This record gives sequence, C-alpha cells and structure tokens, in this order.
Amino acid sequence: MKIWRWDSAKESLSEELEFHLKMAIAERVARGEEPAQARAAALREFGNLSLIKDVTRARWGGLGLENLLHDIHHALRQLRRAPAFTATALLTLAFGIGANLGVFQLLYAVILADLPVPHPQEVVVVHVARSPFDHDWEISYPAYQRLRASTPDIPLIATAYAGDANVEILNHAPVKAFCRLVSSNYFSGLGVTPAAGRLFVEADEQQHGEWPAVLRYDFARSTFGSAQQAVGQHMLLNGQAFVVIGVAHRRFFGDVKGYPPALWIPLALQSTGKMGVGWDSLGPGHNVDLDKPWYNQPGIFWLTLMARIPSARRAAVLAHWDQVFRGDREVMTEATADPAAKAALLRVRSEAVPFNSGQSGMRKKFTAPLTLLMALSGSIFLVGCLNLANLQLARLHARAHELGMRMALGASRGRLLRQIVLEDALLVVAGSALAFVLGRAASGILVRWASSRNAGITLDLHPNLALVALGAGLMLLSLLCFSILPAMVFIRNGAVQTAGSRSKVAGIAQTASQRLRSNLLLGAQVSLSLLLSTMSGCFAATLAHWETVDVGMDREHVLIVRPELDGPRYADHSKQLPAFYQQIQERLQALPGVRSAAVGMCAGIHCGWITALYAHGRAGLTDAQVHGQEDHVGLGFFATLGIPIVRGRDFASSDTDQTQAVAIINRAFAHQLFGDADPIGQWVGYEPAPNDKKFLIVGEVADARVNGAKDDPPPVVYMSINQHPAPVNSIRVRAIGDPGQLSQSVRRALHEVDPSMDIDEIVPLATDLDGDLGTEKLLARLAGIYASLTLLLVGIGFYGVMSSRATRRKNEFGIRLALGATRHRIQMLVVGQTVRILLAGIVPGAILSILAVRAASHFLYGSVSTNSLAIIAASLVLLFAGSIATLIPAQRAALADPLETLRSE
Amino acid sequence: MADSAKYQNRIELLQGTLDMLVLHALLRGPVHGYAIAQVIRSRSGEVLTVETGSLYPALHRLERQRWVKSEWKLTESKQRAKYYQLTVLGKKQLTTDHQRWLQLVRAIGAVMEPEAQP
Repeated sequence: MKIWRWDSAKESLSEELEFHLKMAIAERVARGEEPAQARAAALREFGNLSLIKDVTRARWGGLGLENLLHDIHHALRQLRRAPAFTATALLTLAFGIGANLGVFQLLYAVILADLPVPHPQEVVVVHVARSPFDHDWEISYPAYQRLRASTPDIPLIATAYAGDANVEILNHAPVKAFCRLVSSNYFSGLGVTPAAGRLFVEADEQQHGEWPAVLRYDFARSTFGSAQQAVGQHMLLNGQAFVVIGVAHRRFFGDVKGYPPALWIPLALQSTGKMGVGWDSLGPGHNVDLDKPWYNQPGIFWLTLMARIPSARRAAVLAHWDQVFRGDREVMTEATADPAAKAALLRVRSEAVPFNSGQSGMRKKFTAPLTLLMALSGSIFLVGCLNLANLQLARLHARAHELGMRMALGASRGRLLRQIVLEDALLVVAGSALAFVLGRAASGILVRWASSRNAGITLDLHPNLALVALGAGLMLLSLLCFSILPAMVFIRNGAVQTAGSRSKVAGIAQTASQRLRSNLLLGAQVSLSLLLSTMSGCFAATLAHWETVDVGMDREHVLIVRPELDGPRYADHSKQLPAFYQQIQERLQALPGVRSAAVGMCAGIHCGWITALYAHGRAGLTDAQVHGQEDHVGLGFFATLGIPIVRGRDFASSDTDQTQAVAIINRAFAHQLFGDADPIGQWVGYEPAPNDKKFLIVGEVADARVNGAKDDPPPVVYMSINQHPAPVNSIRVRAIGDPGQLSQSVRRALHEVDPSMDIDEIVPLATDLDGDLGTEKLLARLAGIYASLTLLLVGIGFYGVMSSRATRRKNEFGIRLALGATRHRIQMLVVGQTVRILLAGIVPGAILSILAVRAASHFLYGSVSTNSLAIIAASLVLLFAGSIATLIPAQRAALADPLETLRSE
Repeated sequence: MADSAKYQNRIELLQGTLDMLVLHALLRGPVHGYAIAQVIRSRSGEVLTVETGSLYPALHRLERQRWVKSEWKLTESKQRAKYYQLTVLGKKQLTTDHQRWLQLVRAIGAVMEPEAQP
C-alpha cells in the first residue's frame, strides 16, 4: 500500500516535469526555432532531470523511509537468491541464541529469581537447630509456638513436608497432588496476594467442618478452568473433606524452589494422621508417640521455619530466639550419648539465611551444572558467529562484482554497508524470533531432562526482563560479529573497487592477510568445537558409568512394586501381616519367570530411614559411628535383591515376635561399630545402654548403593519384618529375564492374593536408579546436541571456505594440471590445507578442553587423564568431519580443465 | 552526490524570496509550474529566471507545508497539467513574507542612503 503510493507519486512527478519540458520546447518552436534545436536547448536549460526528481522527492520528506523500504526489498531479494546461506544463517542464529535463552531461562528461575513478594530480601529461612538423626533444620511444634509467641511483631512461619496426597473431586479422575502444610500466617507473612478468593487467616488453624485449602494458580487452572472457578469447590484429600478458599498469586510457586506444591493446607492437618508428614524424632524410648497428634510432643521435629525480619532487627531477634529455644536444644541432646555431639548441639546458634541463598537444595544442586551449560551455550553461540562471519566474508567475495558495480554507479560506502548490514539484520531478527520460540520450548525440555524420575521439577518460566535483555544483546552481538565487522573489513580493504569486471573477480588472489583471517576464524571454531565435543564425550561417559556402575544389587532383574498398605485394614491387623507376606511371596514365586520375591519397609532407593545403633559393651562410640540407616525386610530379601550374605545367616521363618530379636548389618555398619572384628553374635540396641530391647546380630551382608548409584553405600541395619510386623512399602521381585515384562502378571497375582490392594506403581530397579541421574542426563544430552551442532557448523564452515578458495584458484589448478600435476595431488593440496587448519585449531582446543575438564571434574566420573582420552577421540572426529567436508570442493578443484584455463589466460 | 548538494544550496539561498515570488504568482488563480516560471520571468523584466531545479522542489515543499494545493487539470490545448492554487494558509504566509520583504528593503535602503553630513 505504502509502496504503491510512493510509486504513483513518482509517476505524477515525472509527468509534471515532462509537461514543463514540453511547454518549454513548444514555446521555443513558437518563437521560430528548429524543433530539434529547441528540444536540445530546452533540455540544457532544464538541467539534470533525475537529479531534480531526487531533490524534489526529498522535499516530500520520508525519503529515508523510502530508501529503507527499497533496501529491505533488495535485501529480501538477495536473501532469496542465496537460500543455502539464508537457511544456514537462520538455523545457526536460532540455535545459537535459542540455546542461550533456554539455558538462561532455567538459570534465572533457579539462581536469580526472588520470591515474587514485596521486599523479598526481608524473607529469610530461620535455622534454629539441626534434628538429631536427619540433620535437617526442623523443630517441634511446642518449640515453634514458644518462638512465635516471644516475638509477636515478627511473622514466624512454619511449614512441613507432606508429600503427595490423593485428591478426589466430583466429576474428575482422582489425581496425586503435592501438598505442603503451612502455618496460618504463611501467606500474610510472606506477602503473597490471592489471585482469587482469600488466603489463610488465624481462624483456619481450627477445623470447622471442612478443612480449608489454598491452590497454586496453575493447578487451579488446569483442574477447574480458572482461579475464580476453583474458589468454593469441594474435594477429598486422602479422604478428608476440603473446600478451596482461595488461589495464590499466579507467580507464587511456594517457598521451595523447583518443587511447588499444588495445595497448601493448615498444619493442624497433621493431627488427623491422614498426611504423610516428614519428621525426625528423638527415637524409640523417648516418650515419643508418632501415632498421637504431634502438636504437644517436644520430641518430634517436623517444622521448618521462615520469617520476615527487617535486616536491621535480625541480630536482636535471633539472639532473643536463642534464649527462648535453650530448653528445646537440651531436649534434642537426649538423642545422643556422645558428649562431643551433645556439646555441638548446644553450641548451635540461630541464623537467618536469605531465601535466595546457595543453601537451598535446588540452587545448590543446579548452580554449577547450569553455569557450565551457560558457558557451553556461550561457546556454541560463538562458534555460530565465527562460522557465519567466515561464510559472510566468502559471500562478500562472491558478490564483489555486484558490489563493485554498484559503487561504480555512485553508491556510497555507507549505503553499501547499510545494505549489507540490513540484509543480515533481517536474518538476525528472523533468527532471533525463531530463537525465542526455540528457547521457550528448550527451557521446558531442559526442565524435563533435569527432573529426575524420582522428583519432577516445576519452575516459573515466564519471560522476564533479563531474558529479553540477553536476547537483544545476543542479537546485536551476532549482528556485529557476522555482519558489521566482516562488511567493514571487506569494504575498507577496497576489494570492491578492484572488482570492476567479472574476469578480474575470478583473478583476485586472496591476500595473505585475508587468508589468515579466515583460517583464524576456522581455527577458532575448531578449538571451540573440540571443547564441546570433549565435554560431550566426558558427560556421556559419566552418564554411562552411573547407569552401569555396580550398585551391589542385581540392577537389571529386580522389579519394585509399591503397594498402598496404609489403610486400617492392614495397620490394625499387624498380627496377620507375616502370614499375608508369606502368601504374597509364595504366589509371586509360583509365577513363571520369577526367581524370588520379598517385602521391604523401604519403598525403594532414597529411603532415608536414619537410625542410631549402640553396640553392647562398647562405650565411647561417637555419634558418627552409631549413625546408619535401617530397613525392615521379609524373608528372602537379600536373595531377591542380589545382596550376598557375607557371614552368618539370613532371617528365617523361625524368627518371630516370640523369639529373640535379631538383626543383620552390612559391612559398612559392621566396620563402623566393630572395626574388623566379627559382628556375628554381638548385641546392639537403640539406647546407649541396651537394656529393654536388644538385638542379636546373626548375619552380615555386603554393601549396596541403596541411596542411589552415585552415593556411596551407607551403613545399614536390617531387622526382620516378621518380628516387627507393620505395613510394608514395597514388594521386590527378582526376574529371570527382563523384569519390566513381568509387571502385568505380578499385578494380577497380587490381586489374586488381595483383590482390594491398591498398587501405586511397578518399576524396574534400574529405572528407579536411573531416575536419579537428572543432572547427568541433562549435561550429557545437551552437550551431545551442542557437539553435533558445532561439528555440523565446522563442516559447513570448511565446505564454504574451501569451495570459495577452490573456485578462486581454479586457474592455478588448471595450470598445475597442464604442467603435469595429478588430480590426486590437487585434491591433496586442498585437503592438506584443511588438515593444517584443523591441527592448528586442535592444539589450543585441547588445552582449553583440559582446563574445562579440570573445572568440571566435579560432574565427571574418572580422572582428568581418563577424560583426556575424550579429547583425543573428539580430535579424531573433528579431523574426520573437517576432511569429509573438504572432499567435495577438493574433488571439484581436481576436475579443473587445463584447456579452459589456458584459453582464458 | 556533489551535484545534488549544489542544487540544494541554491534552494536554501533563494528560499525565502523564491517562496514569496511563487506564492505571489499564484495570487491570480490556479496555474501550472511552467506558467509560474514564465510569470516571474516576464514580470521581473527577464531578470529573474527560476530554474526548474529550484521551482519544483519549492512547489512540492510549499504543498507539503499546505501553503498551496494542487490538482491535475487540462490546459487550453487539452494537455494534462498539474495546477497549483493558493490556500488560506498560503495567503497569510504571503502577507507576512511581503511585510518582511518590505521591511528588509526599507532597512537595506536606509543603510545604503548617503548619510546627512553633520
């Protein structure tokens, strides 16, 4: 539309000026001049027609715009004419910038983002005391009440982990949703506003009929359609009646980064016993009853604290809390007999940790990997820019004729530069648009990769100002690198002027400095590519190592079944459980393809049941020596998991609650308690002086990595589930072949034994173990993608540069051939050049890689020297890829026709 | 480049006066560009020739400033030509320009008059 108006205005101006000329001629003719003479005189008088048009058009204003439109038109035509370059540039920019944006989005969400509340710097996590077994910063409810009452003007917030709950809503399929127990001042203290309805108030701490729940925005939207519609809805949470009173602000993802709850519910829910709340306690024999409500038990530690304290008052408030808490600290020391540990517990002082400090789990875990990924993403962006710069130089050389022509016709250098840069700016804008889309998708995928199967991560991935700024910065940087600088270098060198005719272009020898420049660019790409390939190799090897490392269990053949045996049907009839377990075991072992089956209290890896075991007759054991993990297992457990019994015996059917309580410990625990002495026949107990409950150690088993493949085998003590009957959390099945194929028949068999048994999930042990390797998978996959991309870029780079050089040296090759060089020799000439550049790039690349491997050694399995093997492998791959990419231009060069050369010379 | 600069300089130089002359030429009714040049030349006794390179840029600028408006019409010899016409704004501008011109002429005249001897 715009362009049409300009065009019609231009025509109108031409017509006006033509009319003027006609009138002038007509007048001269009327005065009696010869028509031809009259015309010549009039034209002379008139002056330069096109210049007058230009100057007149300039009066219209907006000539700059017209030029710009023209230039854009021209640029689009140029880009269409070079589809290979355009596509390469677009994809390079999209990936180069997109990768950075995707990783940065994650980095921002994990490391930089603050709580979306007013004055987030005032919100602190309060550390008062470490619980005796789990060493978590958790305290009891009575202690929390005392602290909160002692500083009424400071909102002291308590929260507790509550795991997943079954959510049942009318007309919806039941779902599992992550819940968090919070004190009534949680939202008001943090400063979170509702998106709909209201948030908790003090009155919500008592139950009046239905329990109140606050939903997370995304959960409310996906379940009820919108935040407004969610308010007032009723639901059942593990069978308890709830009403949704409100939805939190859409940006509020809870106080634990990466793991936002779907619902927040009042702390008082604990007393219903319906929520699986995380806890630590003084342990058996300390007047602790987990089945009774916890609000009046000072020996159960389950609350983590947060507060909003202005920084000026922080020290005074913390000192005050320390005084109030003194009594509770003494309660905590009852858990240990080690005087040093007692003193250490008493020495702890309260501290306020900024919410967004490196101590939060997510940040601690991902800061280093994400920083590393950001560096790798930066490198791929750099490789992309270098590659494009080189292609750009080659392309400008190819266009020298056109550009020279335009300069000869009067285009200014500035105009040419503008034209070239505009072309690339269009590319950058289009590429960046792609990059934003790609980056958004990528951050979602990255979160999925980083999520381990065992703990899905959810992050706030809304675009933010920092992200947009980074995107814009990268756009400008890429434009500078691959367009403005090459174009300026090219035009300044005057390559354009010399390029008057096509024959001259073909004859232009590249100057030594030009060759050096493009060789340097290629070499730098090779170095960075080697770095990325090496890292990718190291990460892949690390992942493969953890996926196959010997975990001390039969990783490939064990199936884990997670039944739900929480109901009163099981818990209230514990006497019948041993017979029930025996029935399950017999039924499962009768299945074809099953070697053995056994039950266990721990649901799988990461059981985290921490305990303290005192050996009879060995006084002076330190806290570190007595701490270990505990599990209660059924008959045949060790055979099912493939954990060998080293000494003594397995549990037997003769071990019942009527006979002597026995225990089996693993090598690590035995070593901790007894050194190299034989543990069989030793007595152990939960108390420093074992009196009421003693266990006789009857067996010792080998160590196993029950906390995950990457964690060292912990010290573990196993008790017999038949001597302490309770509902178990897992049934393990050892298959002869692939355990995954057994899941259907196992499920059927279990339902034959107990038709009403709920089964949570059935997973192979290998899947459970690999579910832990989120970080490793993220690094290996992303580095793999980066490495392949850069290899491709390096390939394209060599192909592009060598092609244009081969074309330029066509005459030379012709002459060489005419003088008797073989075609093979010509090929080698071209390939040899590539190999020299590759080697020159590999040397600094190898140094860079060694430094990077050193810096990343924390994430890598194996020593720097083993990882150096990856450098050699990556170098070989690069050499291969570079040479392959050069083969086609080399082939073409070798086919130069000597006759054609001789004719043209 | 250099040529176009030359033209532009001339326009700058003449601008104030040329505008006034062009606007004045339009006082008697709509005329086309060629006629404007003719009117100025003949009324100045062939002293002032307005070059096309100055005239048309000036006309298009005046149109942009809304001091003149234009329309395509047929001449007596049935040819299409672009006729320019004064607007109300243009008339006002002409009056101010004329006033200022007279002031300038008077002022320059006063300077150039031989001074009375004391």
